Amino acid sequence: MTPTPLASLFVDPDADPSPNRRDVLRWCVACGAAGAVSHLPIEMTLGQDVVEPAILPGPKLEGVARHKALFWEELEEGKIKCVLCPRECEVADVERGYCGVRENRGGAYQSLVYGAVCSANIDPIEKKPLFHYLPGTPAFSIATAGCNIECKFCQNWKISQYRPEQVPSTLVSPDRLVSNCASRDCPTIAYTYSEPVIFYEYMHDTAALARQRGIGSVMISNGYIQEKPLRQLCTHLTGVKIDFKAFSERFYADTCAGELKPVLKTLETLKEIGIWFELVILIIPTLNDDPKEIKEMSEWVVKHLGPDVPMHFTRFHPTYRITNLPRTPVATIERCRKLALDAGVRYVYVGNVPMHPGENTYCHNCNHELIRRVGFRIASNKMVNGKCPKCKTSIPGVWSQESALAFKPRAAASQAGPG
Amino acid sequence: MSMSSTRRQFLARSGAAMAGLAGGVDLLASTASAVELANQADAGDPSLQQPIRPRVAIARDEILTRGRLTQHRDLLVKMLNASIQRVADTPTATEAWRLLFKPSDRVGIKVNTLGLSTQPAVVDAIVAGLRLADVPAENVVIWDRFDVELAQAGFTLNKSGRGVQCRGTDGDAAGSGYQATIESSGEIGSSFSRIVAEQVDALICVPVLKDHNLAGASLGMKNFYGAIHNPNKYHDHNCDPYIVDVVSHRFIRPKWKLTVCDATRAQYHAGPARHPGFAWPLGGLIVGTDFVAADAVATDLLESQRKTKGLKSLDEDKRPTKYIATAGARGLGVCDLRKIERIEV
Ligand code: SF4
Repeated sequence: MTPTPLASLFVDPDADPSPNRRDVLRWCVACGAAGAVSHLPIEMTLGQDVVEPAILPGPKLEGVARHKALFWEELEEGKIKCVLCPRECEVADVERGYCGVRENRGGAYQSLVYGAVCSANIDPIEKKPLFHYLPGTPAFSIATAGCNIECKFCQNWKISQYRPEQVPSTLVSPDRLVSNCASRDCPTIAYTYSEPVIFYEYMHDTAALARQRGIGSVMISNGYIQEKPLRQLCTHLTGVKIDFKAFSERFYADTCAGELKPVLKTLETLKEIGIWFELVILIIPTLNDDPKEIKEMSEWVVKHLGPDVPMHFTRFHPTYRITNLPRTPVATIERCRKLALDAGVRYVYVGNVPMHPGENTYCHNCNHELIRRVGFRIASNKMVNGKCPKCKTSIPGVWSQESALAFKPRAAASQAGPG
Repeated sequence: MSMSSTRRQFLARSGAAMAGLAGGVDLLASTASAVELANQADAGDPSLQQPIRPRVAIARDEILTRGRLTQHRDLLVKMLNASIQRVADTPTATEAWRLLFKPSDRVGIKVNTLGLSTQPAVVDAIVAGLRLADVPAENVVIWDRFDVELAQAGFTLNKSGRGVQCRGTDGDAAGSGYQATIESSGEIGSSFSRIVAEQVDALICVPVLKDHNLAGASLGMKNFYGAIHNPNKYHDHNCDPYIVDVVSHRFIRPKWKLTVCDATRAQYHAGPARHPGFAWPLGGLIVGTDFVAADAVATDLLESQRKTKGLKSLDEDKRPTKYIATAGARGLGVCDLRKIERIEV
């Protein structure tokens, strides 16, 4: 396979990565994209997956939104073991698990964020980022407070690292959320911004209802979830994006308060299930940018997940508890992209570098440019029925709502019958 | 600055946090133990060069275990005053309170209302003591994490600005009770309650003597998990060293003047939730100004009770109170029971 050439770089590695409003408008006019995006605020073309003001008016939530939790076991003396995520918190009565949104109440486990929406926006699906999933469509994006790991570089820490009482939230039932999404012509609900695994019950019920009403659901997650709940959830989801933080246990332990191994397990399970998923790797200077590690990660992806799972290498900017490191040089991101392409990954993107040619999709067979992007916008899409118009190669991904909704998970190998 | 030796001894016993009163020792930079600080303060006075043992008073009266605690307000005041007088080694309780608190102090009383809760009658006795030090009622705030938990524990919320205030950090608009910034201290990264960070100069910690399923014991130091927005992140490794990281922070350590551990109705197992099967009507208070020493003594009582009841020690139960040793090793106070003067009142 020929790596996509990156000769025509026009982004200054040391320049601010974010185009200003005028740059984007100028580009949109130049390429005729302005009309296509005029219904959405310009801010949505900038930045990464940051939280925008809520668009869901509704009753302000006082306190927490209690709901019976799934996936837990009773222990002695009223204690509970949560088996939703690999952390397996053992939680005594009146206490909460690590994520801060699941509480033991008299020996019964409860979610405290069922319908407690703290962020809601209509984002381009590219902002998740999902590049091979209904490109150019809006995703109704929501979050609740809480997360089951703690990344020291989290850009949404003001919701992910807080408890539900500490984040202003609106109570939105699954029915109301799906109706809102339908009335705004969004084909997809994205569970995103914080960590959807911790609002599993709400996501699960909403995704099931949405599917019945012709709306897909994508989970934007760290992949820190156990196999059983993941498989059950994927009966309702239509796509997944996983933040693959690094390829070292040390990084996961020191920088994210988590572990790599369960994430690898999740990726293999997703592959087995057959759901569409993409990977994002935020590259932080000196912490996870070692070329050897990137090479090993890419080789692991090809070997265990196949060459068709897209990888997005994105730029870090200082935030939350990592403010002493510089923004990732664009050259580093380009090097990561090349390493992944060399390892055999077919679709490798650069992220947080708007207007970089590495944002575009090129046919893995003939290298023809298929989708041109600027930031989160689609400037042009030349694919025909999910195929390259030049060489007719099928491009991996989900290119129509029909195929999104038609997805059915493959059974676990251990559950499958003979043959 | 001249000081009587009694005052000097008391300040030394009172732990590192008290040293600020003794003449401006830089508490933030200091990692010296109470004993070391005592030696520094008294250098040159041969009679005071021996390490001074911090005092922890244990006041008990069986009457407290009968009926409702509110029926025994006068007795609680007497017991607390006698304890603080013994700890401070002053001729009167009033002098002890005045050694610790100035009339201009804004005093935060951190109670514990998660599970088995601090009794309001114990806090009433503390407020009465503060009045002896001429601290105006308006300068006193009783606080914990949530309004709702304070109310459930029997406290009357008061945000009027008149009289003793009582409110939870999470009491008003969601999130507004915490600072917007993340503070780093050791391994923790947390937003602190505005009450402890911005609104008080002095702290009195009023935990309950109770077992904790992860930390081993939930006492004075553990009680300050209620000052940060994300305590749920710091339960690994028996909460060690996170508890110490929290209390080492400049918002807490230099302000923490007194611990009054509510042992009127204690619990020796299955905490922190209330569990009647392990209720322990001790009818007591544990009072100290060296917060590490106070926790060490309280833990010792807890361990004795567990032994009496035929339960495993906290160590054997894989819930060692490692954080107390860590606090001692870091010089926050004295954790070695042999170096603590235990006074029965
Ligand atoms: S979902 Fe939350 S409570 Fe459950 S194991 Fe994970 S962090 Fe712990």
